[in-house]
Amino acid sequence: MILTLALVIPWLGALALALLPGWTQSQARWVAVGSAGLSLLALVFAWTGFNPAGPLFQHIDEVRWVPSLGVAYRVGADGIALAVATMSAVLFVAAILYPVDTRGQPRQYYAWLVFLQGASLGVFLTLDLLLFYVFFDLTLVGMFFLIGRWGHGEAQTAALKFFLYTFAGSLLMLLGIIGLYLSLETPTFDMRVLIAEQPLAGTGAYAGLVFLALMLGLAIKTPLVPLHTWLPQAHVDAPGPASAVLAGVLLKLGTFGMIRLPFAMMAETFARYALPVAIIALVAILYGALVALGQSNLKRRIAYTSINHMGYTVLGIAVAAALVTDNPMVRQLALTGATVEMVAHGLITGALFLISGSFWQRTGDYALDNYGGLAYQAPLLTGFTVLASFASLGMPGLAGFVAEFQIFTGTFAVYPWLAVLGVVGILITAALFLDMLRRLFFGHLPTHLGQFSELSRTEWSVLGGLSLGIVIIGVYPRFLLTLIDASSAILVGGR
Amino acid sequence: MTLWAVSLVPLLLAAVVYLLGRRLGRAGLVLLAVSGLMMVLVMVGLAEALGVSSHYVWSEAMTLGLAMSPAGRVAAVLVPLVALPIVIYASYHDLTRHGDSVRVGSGARLLAMLVAFVGAMELLVLANDLLTLLIAWELIGACSWALISHRWGEPHVPRDATTAFLVTRFGDLGLYIAAGAVFAGSGGFGYDDLAQLQGGLKHVAVAGILLAAAAKSAQLPFSAWLFAAMSGPVPVSALLHAATLVSAGLYLLVRLEPTLSAVAWFAPVTIAIGLVTAFAGSIAAACQWHAKKLLAASTSAQYGLMWIAVGAGYPGAAMMYFIAHAFMKAGLFLSAGEAERQVGTFDLARMRLGRLLPGVAVMALLSSLALAGIDPLGAAWAKEQIIAAASDVGTWLALLIIPVGGLSAFYATRFQRLSYGRPPRGDRHGLPKGPGPSRPEDWALRALVAGTVLLSLLWFPAVHQPLMAMLEMRAPSSHVWMHLVSLAFIAAGVVAGLWLTRPERRVPPTTQWQRLAAQWYGLPVATQAIASAALACSRGLARIDDEVVDAGLRATARVGTWLARFNATRGEFIGDSLPGALARLSERGGHWARQAQSGQTHHYYTGIAAGCVLILLLLWIGALL
Repeated sequence: MILTLALVIPWLGALALALLPGWTQSQARWVAVGSAGLSLLALVFAWTGFNPAGPLFQHIDEVRWVPSLGVAYRVGADGIALAVATMSAVLFVAAILYPVDTRGQPRQYYAWLVFLQGASLGVFLTLDLLLFYVFFDLTLVGMFFLIGRWGHGEAQTAALKFFLYTFAGSLLMLLGIIGLYLSLETPTFDMRVLIAEQPLAGTGAYAGLVFLALMLGLAIKTPLVPLHTWLPQAHVDAPGPASAVLAGVLLKLGTFGMIRLPFAMMAETFARYALPVAIIALVAILYGALVALGQSNLKRRIAYTSINHMGYTVLGIAVAAALVTDNPMVRQLALTGATVEMVAHGLITGALFLISGSFWQRTGDYALDNYGGLAYQAPLLTGFTVLASFASLGMPGLAGFVAEFQIFTGTFAVYPWLAVLGVVGILITAALFLDMLRRLFFGHLPTHLGQFSELSRTEWSVLGGLSLGIVIIGVYPRFLLTLIDASSAILVGGR
Repeated sequence: MTLWAVSLVPLLLAAVVYLLGRRLGRAGLVLLAVSGLMMVLVMVGLAEALGVSSHYVWSEAMTLGLAMSPAGRVAAVLVPLVALPIVIYASYHDLTRHGDSVRVGSGARLLAMLVAFVGAMELLVLANDLLTLLIAWELIGACSWALISHRWGEPHVPRDATTAFLVTRFGDLGLYIAAGAVFAGSGGFGYDDLAQLQGGLKHVAVAGILLAAAAKSAQLPFSAWLFAAMSGPVPVSALLHAATLVSAGLYLLVRLEPTLSAVAWFAPVTIAIGLVTAFAGSIAAACQWHAKKLLAASTSAQYGLMWIAVGAGYPGAAMMYFIAHAFMKAGLFLSAGEAERQVGTFDLARMRLGRLLPGVAVMALLSSLALAGIDPLGAAWAKEQIIAAASDVGTWLALLIIPVGGLSAFYATRFQRLSYGRPPRGDRHGLPKGPGPSRPEDWALRALVAGTVLLSLLWFPAVHQPLMAMLEMRAPSSHVWMHLVSLAFIAAGVVAGLWLTRPERRVPPTTQWQRLAAQWYGLPVATQAIASAALACSRGLARIDDEVVDAGLRATARVGTWLARFNATRGEFIGDSLPGALARLSERGGHWARQAQSGQTHHYYTGIAAGCVLILLLLWIGALL
């Protein structure tokens, strides 16, 4: 019941905001914060009630819907879904709280945000493949309007590009889903059945095609190189909080989908193609980091680091899927690492995009060359940016390290050469973030920034909250790792 | 828990120092920082008394472990001990510079980071597995970045800090790989897992550790980052060289020596790296005119000597020299800082402050004598141990490193004479006299020099034997004749140094060759070139990403638009005209058929006849086929 609550509350909030006129800006915001926060609370409650020694999926709700097609309302969560969903809810609360110019339409803006929260949580929490697809596509709708209506620059173009590109991916994934569905003897969309039966094991080319369709669709969402070009533009033109949600939550739909669909439902096929997937992930890691280093636009730079970090996640998933080693411990480490990377990247990049939103609110400019010397003017902004940057470059004591260390260690045991090449990514990431910090905060203060104001109280409390999460995961990851390990151990067959 | 406190106390205290710094004023700040470091010493003692190892579980696979080791015991005391005077010096030297309250704010940051640095270093010293080590290893790198970029307002400073961080982080990658190798082989990260590793994975792990150590220890080819690190304030350099970042590399080798030396190529590679760095660094120092960079190059060289000792299988000798080096190098950096404050530059050609600061000059002299390796200072004993260790590998190696000692004596003399020597007769220093060292600065310097002098006791077997026993390491057997040869080289170095720096001598223009040597033989340029190449490559990729990768998408979009337009015009035309044409055709047919309905009988008969003929004709054709 608790997961259903987490799903429904944001949509009720969205409905209230959409249908009842007359909310003021702050009322609308508090309604949105309230519904997002309650949903978060429900997820935290579900987390505390999760039994790590129990079955894979827990907190299950099931309502019959279209029995003839095997469609039903099914929700439930494993540790991976719960971790990512809770992180998403945290990020939504942060994004809603973060001050932004709503262009006189606060009701609509906040309604779309909480609608998006409901849809995203739906993807993580549903156990029905058809509902998964529906939620997956609904997130596009929410993000399309957020970018198009509240974005800047070429917002309409960016929104359209984002929508069409990722929608094409969704359609491919739909083909894959249908392929999976039809391969069952008594077709059903119940994920638990699909995971248990592994219907495509040993079917050769057909399985390969289904796998390709699913992975292509999910890779566009993740995004993996070379299917990533919708991402930078969507980010640059989106408002800060929407960017935070886009990077922090929507990208995770791709990698979460990889764990939930191809990884869990067609393990044998994934094992066969694990090496090519890992190589593509490696390319994404290095290419994303290098291209990010080459950017002189603050937001584009952060956007490309997302490609790099999602590359780590995919690398971890591919390693966990590979059956090269008979040591399940190694694969479990990689899968847990991939999941922690999702959580860590959500919080870290979410914070970074919120920060870039603050820059935009103050100057309307993302060009790194136009900044400098802000450390004295805005010490809090500097402090939070330094923290988030170091977290993103994998500094121990912060969340990113816990993830990347596990991924690299797991990868080394399976594909040593990929690990050796992959660690170079963290060096480039360090270079690009230190360069960014230097250009934003150090050196001389340009005269036009004389009036640059420090973070407001709302801004720094939100960033403080996210930073706290980053630090806690960095120094006390156990609470998170226990939850995720419970599921990854089952998924890699270690338990 | 006590073990964790050793590193957590300074780390947490650093946060307090930073947050309260602006309100406390200088006295409070110093008190807080110093008491923090004192607490570390107490904690180390307590941990020693309780004698425990401690674990902190992250997950089933990952556990962080701390344990006291023989080498760690010494390092854990040494680090806060050396940091203590440096922190006191920092709070007076770097806070009084402009005397306003803004400086106290940034001074709080400086002190906080220094204290945090000590905490991270203690974590590194106590680490008992590669995961904990890696955490501490990266943390000290981050601390060094923050400390070097302390004066961030000057544009080159943050750039140098980035260089230093990136070069040392390149080494960190080695630890990531080593940790991966150990886990792949054993399913754990402990040092004991590393020791039990077999086959290729062990080679990989040792190579990774060696890479990490070389980068942090500023050995070739990574030495140049130490020059970039010179953009940091003086106390930062002192701490970096004496007790934290640079020493971390050596400490790691000492700590893991029994395991590392099990790999056949470890000893020759370590000795080779150490030897080359020792020579190259000494020559670089001998040619250098920047006071701090001279000391930096000498640091690389001295750590090179310690590497040789570890490679030769005598980590104990390296550890002894490490202690002596910590005190003398910290003392030299602090005295260089005093000189800089007088003349406003680190240019050795413009110092000779012996008359102006006689007190500091004496302190600098004692440290310089230690650097030169002159009896009866403890550094000389430790250096003799290294030579003895080298002779254990072969007399040739000992004879190779003895000239390094001569070079050390040469540049130590040069440093001392140029910075705190007597000015040329009649030169009464036209520069205004800056504020002299404050009393706490003086005492900080004296404390470090006292350490250097106190170490002279190492010559007594009653002192060094128990110390070696505590380290659980053997001492090499020394030869008297080698010591005499070494002393001869040192004397030659001192004489050459004195001759070349005599007050009457005009500073000759440096040759190109000297300039090259002074700049680490172009290593910084090479590093810069690599960085520029990477940057150019990334810019190129960024352009390709915009113009080529995205072009596929744009082309798809264009094809889509074209198709839509084509359909809207031609397609629609065809689609519309096809049924239209059919309709017209049937209309015409109908019209024609209606014409046949004329109502005149002979027309019908003609039609019937023609029909019959047609049918017969068809039948006939059918019969023929």
